[in-house]
Amino acid sequence: MANLLWLQGGACSGNTMSFLNAEEPSACDLVTDFGINVLWHPSLGLELGENLRRMLDAIVSGEIAMDIFVFEGTVVNAPNGTGEWNRFCGRPMKDWVADLAKVATFTVAVGDCATWGGIPATAPNPSESEGLQFLKREHGGFLGKDYTSKAGLPVINIPGCPAHPDWITQIVVAVATGRGGDLTLDEFQRPKTFFTSFTQTGCTRNMHFAYKVSATEFGQRKGCLFYDLGCRGPMTHSPCNRILWNRVSSKTRAGMPCLGCTEPEFPFFDLEPGTVFKTQTVMGAPKDMPTGVDKAGYIKLTAAAKAASPAWAEEDLFVV
Amino acid sequence: MSDEDDKLRETIRSLLAGGLEVEVFPRADTHDEVQAIVGRLQANGDLKDRLAIAGFTLTPIEHEGIEQACETCMYYQVHRCYCELPELDVPVEPQWSCRLWRI
Ligand code: SF4
Ligand code: SF4
Ligand code: SF4
Repeated sequence: MANLLWLQGGACSGNTMSFLNAEEPSACDLVTDFGINVLWHPSLGLELGENLRRMLDAIVSGEIAMDIFVFEGTVVNAPNGTGEWNRFCGRPMKDWVADLAKVATFTVAVGDCATWGGIPATAPNPSESEGLQFLKREHGGFLGKDYTSKAGLPVINIPGCPAHPDWITQIVVAVATGRGGDLTLDEFQRPKTFFTSFTQTGCTRNMHFAYKVSATEFGQRKGCLFYDLGCRGPMTHSPCNRILWNRVSSKTRAGMPCLGCTEPEFPFFDLEPGTVFKTQTVMGAPKDMPTGVDKAGYIKLTAAAKAASPAWAEEDLFVV
Repeated sequence: MSDEDDKLRETIRSLLAGGLEVEVFPRADTHDEVQAIVGRLQANGDLKDRLAIAGFTLTPIEHEGIEQACETCMYYQVHRCYCELPELDVPVEPQWSCRLWRI
């Protein structure tokens, strides 16, 4: 039996929605088959008011063990560092987070807001939001860079806007079944099993990427979304085309560019007008190159690939 | 390549060879410059005006050490010899160029 507590800070509930839509295992399977005891969750918890407060106090005091502390949403510090804009159970949520993180065996940040601040922390960041252990790319966040949970791990970051249900459930199951120590994390504390490959890995438009055939409209069957529509698939670490959404598709398969939602800088360019769904260029070349590619190499490769492209690459083709 | 494409390509060629004044520079180096040119193209349906706004030339333009020719542009369809940029949407030749070139 593993006790799980899930709280929300500055959040839209997107990760809760994602989690509740999980299949194989579903949220119910976690309870019935994997021995997870949900102490409380904003959409599932039964306790209210004083009863909830008593439960939280009992967790903080150690009377109730908390094996997994899941946090969704940003830690809100406004106004002026007090956290009063996000009160929960009689005190600022940030104070609960500080106390609960100290007694958690594992601490898991779910979604971009909890991992790096996400959309709420975008400039000018009026809610003074930050992630549990990062603010965008900067290590530290609310808990500080030296934080480790009782199991000796830093915050396990499961980014995404929202995170895929399987990324959440599989990490929760690993922890609940005693395999938490086997998790290996990347430099941004994301489980490597999910976040080493790119969104582009498994994308059905890779042929068009290779032959430099561009999609110029959303939902277009043929063409790669990198050249014109701002797809960040080649530089975003995610398994979106390996572990499909709803088990059937992904953004890029459906003709919608990857927005890079698993990376700390998301949303990119602080959402300046004209920067979303549009490849940013400098002197005609993409501003952001695929990971590991330099500009000179890119130009040579793409010119050659274009010249070598077969006729079928320019024709309408089902890629979903 | 269709006859229709060939005819239009020929019209464009003779317009440019006949001295149509076009805005070859400044090239669209930044996102804002691209947007400004694309906006003008969207507001103008006349072929001559659009060739002028886009800065069409019959030979590649070398800009900042990069040769900008239709054949390496991401909007260029190799087999149809066609510019797929929705705001242009015209038949071209591999060695032509315009200031919206991008790779
Ligand atoms: S659509 Fe995006 S993810 Fe797919 S091949 Fe193109 S750049 Fe890569
Ligand atoms: S495709 Fe990109 S934007 Fe969409 S969920 Fe995956 S990583 Fe996020
Ligand atoms: S956008 Fe590209 S393909 Fe089209 S005319 Fe300009 S350089 Fe040629």
